[in-house]
Amino acid sequence: MGKGQYVDDITLPNMLYMGVVRSTYARAKLIKVSGEGAIDGNELRALRASVGEGAAAASNLDLMEPILARDMVYYVGQPVAAVFSEDRYSAEDKISGVEVEYEPLKAFNAVKAALEGEPIHPGTDSNILRETVVGNAFDDPKADVVVEDELTNERIMPNPIETRGIIADYDGKRLTIYISTQSVHSIKRGICSSLKLNPDDVRVIQADTGGGFGSKGGLYPEYVIAAYAAMKFKRPVKWIETRREHLLATNAGRGVHGKMKLFADKSGKLLALRGEITVDSGAFGGGMAEFTAPYIAMQVTGPYKIEKASITARSVMTDKPVQGPYRGAGRPEAAFMMERMMDMLADKLNMDPVKLRLFNMSDKPFKSPLGLEIDAAKPFFEKAVQELDYERLRNDKAGIGFFVLVPALAPGETARIRINSGKVDVWLGGNAHGQGHEVFVRKLIREELGIPEELVTLNKGDTDMLQSGIGSWGSRSAIAGGAAVVSAARKMKKEFEEKHGKFSTTELLNGTYDSFVFEKQEGQLNSFGANIATASIDKYGVVKVKECIAYYDLGRMLNPPMVRGQIMGGMAQGIGQTLYEELVHSDDGQLLTASISDAGVPIAENMPEFVVKVVENGSRLPHGAKGLGEAPTIGVPLALCRAIELVSGKRIRSTPVKQEYLSD
Amino acid sequence: MKKITVKMEVNGKDVEREIDPRMLLATFVRDELRLTGTHIGCDTTNCGACTLLLDGKAVKSCTVLAASASGKKVLTIEGISKDGTMHPVQKAFIEKHGLQCGFCTPGMIMTSYWLLGKGKKLSREEIRKYLSGNLCRCTGYQGIVDSVEYAAELMESEKAKEKARNR
Ligand code: FES
Ligand code: FES
Repeated sequence: MGKGQYVDDITLPNMLYMGVVRSTYARAKLIKVSGEGAIDGNELRALRASVGEGAAAASNLDLMEPILARDMVYYVGQPVAAVFSEDRYSAEDKISGVEVEYEPLKAFNAVKAALEGEPIHPGTDSNILRETVVGNAFDDPKADVVVEDELTNERIMPNPIETRGIIADYDGKRLTIYISTQSVHSIKRGICSSLKLNPDDVRVIQADTGGGFGSKGGLYPEYVIAAYAAMKFKRPVKWIETRREHLLATNAGRGVHGKMKLFADKSGKLLALRGEITVDSGAFGGGMAEFTAPYIAMQVTGPYKIEKASITARSVMTDKPVQGPYRGAGRPEAAFMMERMMDMLADKLNMDPVKLRLFNMSDKPFKSPLGLEIDAAKPFFEKAVQELDYERLRNDKAGIGFFVLVPALAPGETARIRINSGKVDVWLGGNAHGQGHEVFVRKLIREELGIPEELVTLNKGDTDMLQSGIGSWGSRSAIAGGAAVVSAARKMKKEFEEKHGKFSTTELLNGTYDSFVFEKQEGQLNSFGANIATASIDKYGVVKVKECIAYYDLGRMLNPPMVRGQIMGGMAQGIGQTLYEELVHSDDGQLLTASISDAGVPIAENMPEFVVKVVENGSRLPHGAKGLGEAPTIGVPLALCRAIELVSGKRIRSTPVKQEYLSD
Repeated sequence: MKKITVKMEVNGKDVEREIDPRMLLATFVRDELRLTGTHIGCDTTNCGACTLLLDGKAVKSCTVLAASASGKKVLTIEGISKDGTMHPVQKAFIEKHGLQCGFCTPGMIMTSYWLLGKGKKLSREEIRKYLSGNLCRCTGYQGIVDSVEYAAELMESEKAKEKARNR
């Protein structure tokens, strides 16, 4: 401990520190930038490539974010220029030395205002970035009961405790990047595409990465500026994000509004679901939002059997930073929409919410009209109700939430296993940032090849050591990454057997082998999960979470203590989203939640003692695993919102649930 | 800007440097002394990743000017292990899964080291209260509270052993 090599711990000789001058307006004409030695958008005319989780094909190049603003700025915090200095302090001084002239314009920060207002991008005709309809067309059924409501998850920040950071180093021929990331391959693709570089001339190496939660999967303007500057000045360039910059300009997650209409008969049978999902995409295309809106729509029916469903999914541009993934990335929003509606329907029918839910599940697999594929839901959730001790906790106004986890299995993942002088080195296409991938890698290699775990090293991401890869997000590492490790090990075993006949671990270790695979994955590998929570609320409206229990199907636990730890961490984030976390902007687009505490990252004192229960119904993958990482950020808000609703007697329609809304 | 001279004892060694008077203690130990175990996670004194001991007390070194630490004793995460053996608090964090990405860990450990140094018996709620100036985004804190409880046990039994030896 204290021996990690995070990116800010690396110092290269003759290194420059980069500081970024950022827009102070949410929307303005950019008249002039003047500062000695500063790089601005007139010099570096590049666009931010869309890579990583939920990357969109650039449908319209005019709507892609410029690396540095030119002519116009579109959000507070948008990079306008970069300065370079010998140390951090003087880089700060240089930032203040750059003069920027703006002509402020009216900004559209909220989705509603943006839908009504003029287009934020001159030359376009509306602020709707994308709109699609998912599902089947139908006429409203004759229903005994209809519940209709509007639901919101406000934007929140990933806020890993280590912020983003990069060092770019250029030797006159090749660019080497050291970076805190979830995917060296996405960063490489992004930098090559934004700066039009030849992939052979760029190497990206992962530094120790202090958490990501979605924020470190893709490309950001600062990375491209640092790379460009390293080539221009022929000196290494370091940029370390401040927390304020993280809150201002790193892509925020959530920011989703739903309008839902649920039709049922009086027995509680669901007849149809109609809805609209609107995602605040921020100022540009190419972010997560184009992908998120239909993705949320696809999974909105959750574990229920509903024959008719139709959702209009749209993303709307506003004068805010581009939307990005935050742990769950669409999944928590989808479940929130459905589970809130189910609780409302239960109240309207005067039915127990658990009974209503189970009544609408099938004991056979089901494919929803929106495209969601699920296994038999009923047996899992009946068991969940027992495991979560619902009969006891319902006396204490427990809320319960059921969900389907849709992991990002496709398109698969890469892995490389190399044996040399009795040592085993492994590289994975997705890069760990706190999940302990090495434990499952060692275990799977021991199982497949009989190699003792202490001989196996999982190396950090390095694009020179692994030719391609996807990334670590979307609950995919243990499934797609694990399957790739198994496949690379089997390929190696086959090669051995073809050469030498009967397999022997000792002889394998005496030889030299190198096995690379891209293990392709298609289709869905969805799993089920359930949460329960109880809460108390004081007269000021302050919520205290009492019990918080999870019951998830993990297929197979490859690393039980780490799995539990990761789930508990996610449960804390679920409580954070429900009670504390939010990015608040003033009407003119200034960020009001400008510290990590204002942004609501939960503290130890406010967290309950979590209970994690697990069932292992093996998956179709060779090693049996299912998705995991995002389950708790999906499940906890569902259960906790209902518990708060039961205790307060007030309908919960949005997260975070505000203290002032609950106080007497 | 005119540089100033600071002198202090860091992890038992005397150090002297010429620095920018604005330099914070966190930057001083990281950039000047290359003790990069002390981390920086925020700019508003909220996260505690920069926690170290100044004259025996836990402080957030991102709010202390290096100049004002001149003449004092600093203990960082690098200074708590003895002759290459981990301190019981470090052992406990590893055994009880008190860390995932490890970025908050040095701060958590220094706060716990200081807390347990008081020799008081603490309930889980009290541990949580004391740790509330340190943010962790990965663990949900439960593994950290487990670690601190276990570290207290380890330190207790070490003390008992030492006593037995001295008898
Ligand atoms: S860096 Fe000192 S409290 Fe965050
Ligand atoms: S272990 Fe990652 S922030 Fe605490």
